[in-house]
Amino acid sequence: MAVDPATMTVLVLVYLAATLIIGYIGYKQTKNHEDYLVAGRDSHPFIIALSYGATFISTSAIIGFGGQAANLGMGLIWLTVLNIGVGILLAFVLFGKKTREIGHRLSAVTFPDLMCKLYKSPMLQYISCFIIVISMPLYTAAILIGGARFIEPTLGISYNWALIIFALITAVYVVFGGLIAVMYTDAFQGTIMLIGMTVLLAFTLMIVGGFEAGTTALTNMAGMVPKALADQGMTGWTAMPALGSPIWFTLVTTIVLGVGIGVLAQPQLVVRFMTAKDDKALNRAVLVGGPFILMMTGVAFTVGALSNVYFYNTTGKMAVEAAGGNVDSVIPLFINACMPDIFVVIFMLTLLAAAMSTLSALYHAMGTALVCDLWGRGRECALSMRAHQYGIVIMMVVSTILAFLMPISIIARATAMFMGLCACAFLPAFAVGVYAKNPSTKAALYSMVSGAVVWFLWTAFIHAAEAKPLGLCQAIFGKVTLLGAPWTAVDPLVIALPVSMIVMIILQLQYGKDQPAVTPA
Amino acid sequence: MILGIPDPQIVLGYVLAVGFALACVVYGLLNWNKGGNGNGS
Repeated sequence: MAVDPATMTVLVLVYLAATLIIGYIGYKQTKNHEDYLVAGRDSHPFIIALSYGATFISTSAIIGFGGQAANLGMGLIWLTVLNIGVGILLAFVLFGKKTREIGHRLSAVTFPDLMCKLYKSPMLQYISCFIIVISMPLYTAAILIGGARFIEPTLGISYNWALIIFALITAVYVVFGGLIAVMYTDAFQGTIMLIGMTVLLAFTLMIVGGFEAGTTALTNMAGMVPKALADQGMTGWTAMPALGSPIWFTLVTTIVLGVGIGVLAQPQLVVRFMTAKDDKALNRAVLVGGPFILMMTGVAFTVGALSNVYFYNTTGKMAVEAAGGNVDSVIPLFINACMPDIFVVIFMLTLLAAAMSTLSALYHAMGTALVCDLWGRGRECALSMRAHQYGIVIMMVVSTILAFLMPISIIARATAMFMGLCACAFLPAFAVGVYAKNPSTKAALYSMVSGAVVWFLWTAFIHAAEAKPLGLCQAIFGKVTLLGAPWTAVDPLVIALPVSMIVMIILQLQYGKDQPAVTPA
Repeated sequence: MILGIPDPQIVLGYVLAVGFALACVVYGLLNWNKGGNGNGS
């Protein structure tokens, strides 16, 4: 079923125009650096919730992990459990309120700035900033490539131009409108995503005859699990893989824990808490955020798994086989094959919205980190709006160049790598920083460094999914990984996060009492 | 088998996913007007 190209082009252009107009409204409301950096600390709860959710959910969460659900089955629903339980409830209630209150009290405007003021340590600001400026462009490049791949066929332009146009349009409203424009457009994009995923769920359930009929059919297909997957522990699409098997380790450690916990302590999300006027705004945001995430990842994973029923009934093949072995093609193929034209258009806009909302947040977080926390730290220019605009442009250019240069095998791992690194390096120090009366600078420093170093070593030398494309282990030791199965399937986060936590706890207990409490600015 | 799903771990995953989303709604409603002191602590 092909969508009329003219209709598609017109709707995409209308969407882009609407995004730029909303961005312009944000620009008009941006009067000073606090508006630019933390949206004036007065955001509406619905804007906070939709912005947080839309930033949280990128195209890869819908297409990539939806495709993984078609491949590995409904076990991915445990990632949704963590997305909501950890990413919303725990994040907002446990960390959000403290972050907002301390951010206000200490006048923190970025994540590294918050770390610096919590621990009274410029070194922590530099290290946080360094990790952001090094790792975030990779994640940004992955989002850029995903968006460009969508725009290329939709608007009928070359991939290179699609990538440049996508980067520029998003940068325009981020550069001029700052965080207010980013959050307003996020809310608009989040609304489109909500509509798209609701319609996707409804159509899928109609196609498979309802949830129970679909899952029953899927259960009856357990005997059709491809031999390669069955040998690695897969038992069916409505059952968890065999405990301790390679697929179990991949599903539980990389997908569920790696991504589920990785969402905590992501700088671009932490800043959203600091845009709330009071705890009331965050309480209300929780109400919207939980159901929003359920409708994003919960629907994507359910639809991904159930698409096997549709493909088997119509082609005699399982979903991934029907998609030519490409997991990322399952959801687009499913939608193009069985949805009405108008929904294909809505879903394409959903993907574009998901990519832009994440991209804009990353631009803002990288650019402000570069200027506020690195180049201008401790100087007047750290709070200059003009300087931040330059910072965002520089990081946009760096990310775009990376998107052109980096091998796709590394880019494909960028999302998981970024989330893993953030959690391992930042989470223990961030958690203790907002909760402890006397957080120890030494504990935070060693925790961040140990988390980042162990994460890097496990990523480059043990975890096959990254070690192989990185090629560092091969170059130094002449083999793909230093350890064999099952360690090659164990996500770096599962090793590095406990290390950084233990270091943080031990040193905090030892040195925390010696450090004076953080006082109001 | 519940809702066509034979593995209780998958069923539990769905129950918790929907349950946590509902918990978010309940939390938001119960605390709708709490914590409205403007900025600061």
